[in-house]
Amino acid sequence: MIGYVLEVAQAALALVLAPGLVGLVRWMKARLQNRRGAPAWQPYRELGKLFRKEVVVSSNASWLFRAAPFVVFASTVAVTFLVPILAVPLPFDGVGDLLVVVYLLLLGTFFLSLAGLDPGSPFGGMGASREMTVAALAEPTVALAIFALALSAGSTNLGQIVARTMTAPGAALSPGHLLAFAALFIVTLAETGRLPIDNPATHLELTMIHEAMILEYSGRYLALIEWAAAVKLLIFFSLLGNLFVPWGVSMALTPGTLVVAVASLLAKFVVLAGAVAVLETRIAKLRLFRVPELLSASFVLALLAVTSSFLLR
Amino acid sequence: MAPAPLLLAVMLAGYAAGALAALAARGALGRGLVAGCALVGALAGLLLGAVCLGAGLAPTFTASFLPLTGLALRLDGLSAFFLILIGVVGAAVAVYGFGYTEAYEGRYSLRWLGALLNVLLLSLSVQVMADNALTFLMAWEAMSLSAYLLVLTEHDQPGTVRAANWYIAITHAGFAALVAMFLLLSAGELTTSFAAMRAASLAPQVRDAAFVLALFGFGAKAGVVPLHVWLPMAHPVAPSHVSALMSGVVIKMGVYGLLRVTIDLLGGGPAWWGGLVLGLGTVSALLGVLYALMEHDLKRLLAYHSVENIGIIFIGIGAGLMFQSYGLTTLATLGIVGGLYHTINHACFKGLLFLGAGSVLHATGTRNMEEMGGLIKRMPRTAFFFLVGACAISALPPLNGFASEWLVFQTLLGGSAIPQPEVAVIMPIAVAMLALTSGLAAACFVKAFGITFLAIPRSPEAEHAHEAPRSMQVGMVSLVLLCVGLGLAPFAVVPLLGSSLAGLGGLAPTAVAFTLALPLHVPGTFGQMSAPLLALGLALLLALVPLVLRVLGADRRLRVADTWGCGRIGQTARMEYTATAFAEPLRRVFAELYRPSRDLSIDFHPASKYFVQSIEYRSEIHPWFERVLYDPLLHGLRGAATRVRRLQGGSVHLYLVYMTLALLVLLTVARWRT
Amino acid sequence: MDSAFSQLCVLGSSLVLIFGLILLWRRGVTAYINAFVWQSTVLSAVTATVGYFGNDRELYWVAGGLFLLKGVAIPRLLRRMERRFAAERELEPYVNTATSLVVSGLLVLFGYAITRPLVALSQLPTRAGMPLAMGLVLVSLFVVISRKKALTQVIGFLMLENGLALLAVLGTYGIPLIVELGVFLDVLMGFLVMQIFIYQIHETFESIDVEQLNRLRH
Repeated sequence: MIGYVLEVAQAALALVLAPGLVGLVRWMKARLQNRRGAPAWQPYRELGKLFRKEVVVSSNASWLFRAAPFVVFASTVAVTFLVPILAVPLPFDGVGDLLVVVYLLLLGTFFLSLAGLDPGSPFGGMGASREMTVAALAEPTVALAIFALALSAGSTNLGQIVARTMTAPGAALSPGHLLAFAALFIVTLAETGRLPIDNPATHLELTMIHEAMILEYSGRYLALIEWAAAVKLLIFFSLLGNLFVPWGVSMALTPGTLVVAVASLLAKFVVLAGAVAVLETRIAKLRLFRVPELLSASFVLALLAVTSSFLLR
Repeated sequence: MAPAPLLLAVMLAGYAAGALAALAARGALGRGLVAGCALVGALAGLLLGAVCLGAGLAPTFTASFLPLTGLALRLDGLSAFFLILIGVVGAAVAVYGFGYTEAYEGRYSLRWLGALLNVLLLSLSVQVMADNALTFLMAWEAMSLSAYLLVLTEHDQPGTVRAANWYIAITHAGFAALVAMFLLLSAGELTTSFAAMRAASLAPQVRDAAFVLALFGFGAKAGVVPLHVWLPMAHPVAPSHVSALMSGVVIKMGVYGLLRVTIDLLGGGPAWWGGLVLGLGTVSALLGVLYALMEHDLKRLLAYHSVENIGIIFIGIGAGLMFQSYGLTTLATLGIVGGLYHTINHACFKGLLFLGAGSVLHATGTRNMEEMGGLIKRMPRTAFFFLVGACAISALPPLNGFASEWLVFQTLLGGSAIPQPEVAVIMPIAVAMLALTSGLAAACFVKAFGITFLAIPRSPEAEHAHEAPRSMQVGMVSLVLLCVGLGLAPFAVVPLLGSSLAGLGGLAPTAVAFTLALPLHVPGTFGQMSAPLLALGLALLLALVPLVLRVLGADRRLRVADTWGCGRIGQTARMEYTATAFAEPLRRVFAELYRPSRDLSIDFHPASKYFVQSIEYRSEIHPWFERVLYDPLLHGLRGAATRVRRLQGGSVHLYLVYMTLALLVLLTVARWRT
Repeated sequence: MDSAFSQLCVLGSSLVLIFGLILLWRRGVTAYINAFVWQSTVLSAVTATVGYFGNDRELYWVAGGLFLLKGVAIPRLLRRMERRFAAERELEPYVNTATSLVVSGLLVLFGYAITRPLVALSQLPTRAGMPLAMGLVLVSLFVVISRKKALTQVIGFLMLENGLALLAVLGTYGIPLIVELGVFLDVLMGFLVMQIFIYQIHETFESIDVEQLNRLRH
């Protein structure tokens, strides 16, 4: 029973924390750039405001445009039930493994891209086309990173991977793990629309991918999409944090360990957000046609990860 | 089993009656009879397969007409599975065809269309039950010829005859390989039963040769790269319900044949067999989807996706063969089960997509996506059905495409169990290519659905499109339900498929090991997932989110306004993104493969070159295998034909001399051969 | 202990290889030189690690020599050349970046496959890193083949040498100091010769693009 409560609590925590995480990255970035920056809770205000605003829908759009935000949000939230955020093993661990997580996220991207095409605006089409290109090219890296993790953990189920790494801490520092981490980090940047692949802060048509796709959205639909995007960032951060550095994740499901789990989760988020902020301050956006090169670099990293997992077997 | 012979008789009679009725009756009655008889036949076949599989005992039925005709039939698990496949798609196609062929009335020969459709279904059904080489080859040829004639239905359209010629040429090259293969296996006696071939012990070289011939023959039918060139030509020009049948079922006969020969008759082989199949599968999957991305003819796009999906099926089977050669029978079964699962899934969603494309073609009269758009408002049901198919083929959970791709992924992940690491490293590459393929497939179907059905119509035809008639919708709905059902029930399908393979080629009867528990946990692999729970969760969340929003009092006002166009008022279809534009980033990324040729001509205003009067942009890609493989081949063939023609002098005496010489040579050989 | 040692070796070898891959990914010569410096530093660290775990004092000297020569001296010379030819970036290699990266990944796998018997024979805890070293050798060869600028090729050659050194250290716990010294001298000589060549090419063609050498035919 406690397991099911925890599942719901974990999903709720993800939903609540996600906008703050985005705000944290933005705030850190602003501080690094010598700006004062909006406080980290600014995204909550934005979401609240969007939920209270009226929706404007294009006259060309169909039911799909109105359904897509819900599909995106639901599929993203479904993933939070499968990813180990606070504790393992949870009852839904057997419902979906890492492959399911990847394809659930692809489901959201698929519908969002369709919704980008629906109003017939050239921006939406451009965003959809680019988003799908990046998503497709990131797929092999993700699959290989999964392969590397599965090789050392003997399972693609997330709870198993975490538990295995906890019992054999040496594995966390193994080259396979480190390389897979690096590969997955690049994919995280690509999938969550961060620099250097996409610029989350701009509406300049030449550079935007995600923002172009959702240009026609407003009001509560936009709120759902923004929220889902924030949750996606949180999911990837938890994957990076908990799969590769699992310490802190509660395995005993007692109140004490859960407090530790929350604290360590927050610490990991701060570190990862800091890394992203530093990276986004240091580097410029890549030209769109350099992005495949970056993704193929991440692919090579993942391939090396698999190879070195094979080497050390 | 009592019902089995009865069902078999009903099935054969249904198809035969359909073929005869088509020739006899005309008009709506004729179409109705064709559809009805085909439906009866297909459903009887479906039941027959289900009875056999459900009984759980493998060979349930044998019939031999040997003394009379040399024909022999036998029904085992594998045959039953493919009978179900034929029945499922055949039934949907039959119903759909009733409405779809109405437009052919008076334009093309409906009699032959109906008759050949039934003959095709009949030969397919006999094919999978064949128990000796002669039956197999006769059914194979009947299938190829009826499919050829069906492709030729719209013979007055440009490109149709050329496509049919390509099809018949390649399929007959394959047929020749198959005859040679069976001659090798049966030591020259084509009426030898399969049971005798199973028992025969052949030299390794003979087995290798037989395998290569089988791979060529069945690969040509299945449309594996580089033997697939006919597929994107022939499937689009056939009537859409025939396209659905061809993509859904006919090319799967290549899969059936490959399994029957390599696993069943030859009992598996060395690791390189599996490696070759796996490699061909990987290349087909990737190239298929890459060329599909560049295609803007809706049906050609779907045809290229058939190449892709056959590739995925071959990946599963190839991995299975490899595992079998290393004695990892559980993993081997799993790989083949994954391949078979994808086979039936592909039959359902590709059938559905072709039927959807047929409805679009029916409504707009064009296959060119650049002239479509906005159809979701004019034909909402077709749009919804097509969307389900698009999600399924993109392997999105919880639909059926995901279930089988997940299984194939798990099989490949199990590749680390192979004792030789230098062989095992093939598996991660296959995993990466499969992942890239499915990502690109998703991108391609965003394009296919988005450009065809969403936004504003790009042509008057699209603007005046209408919803498909009821019978066509029924055909599509049945496949939609199957796509959902097969996606939700992997826990039931996988053990069933496992049992259909039990006992074939030394595969362990692992059926019992595949549990029927809800979370699908397959032995020997890593992962676990539960499609029904996943779907339930998604559905719950989808229902909960709007509810919660309403309870929390989110603003519910909605205003309809124009799309934002940088301040420009009045949006036209010319401002929309096109299919070409959508695929442009990927064309750039894979430019080294596509080598696109570009042609840009601009007409300037005579007064100043800053005013452009018209721009014409043309870009084409010429697939490399045509460039590298077929162009030289055709060139050589033509040269050889020219040379051979010199023999043809036109004089009757010369021909008589040839005949006499041939006779003399034959007599000499016959006399001194022994 | 042994497992930590072997993990460190694989990790170090992976890093050495990744710095080699930077040649395929970046376009500026500055980045190449930095990558080379880092690579040499990690290489000498790996050498020192092998010396520590293998109780071989001589290897410390080799590591120090490696660092001084390849981490300090040669980069200094390279930077001097870079100042002169900095404007010439590797803009249009024969094989584009994405393809190069994928090819290099496959080369690494190939290296893994061909060193397999070697690794199987060896009992050393360092053996797991050898395929990666072989991968670096292959990747560096690929760099030399596929890039056009002479400076890139020189760095590719130096990395190839690093790969061989890594292979030697991992495969045999380091070769005797005297042989290593000879190799150092060879590298230095080779490098100086190449340097002179590049200056000559530049003087003749006003460019260090080796494609220009095609003109010598006419």
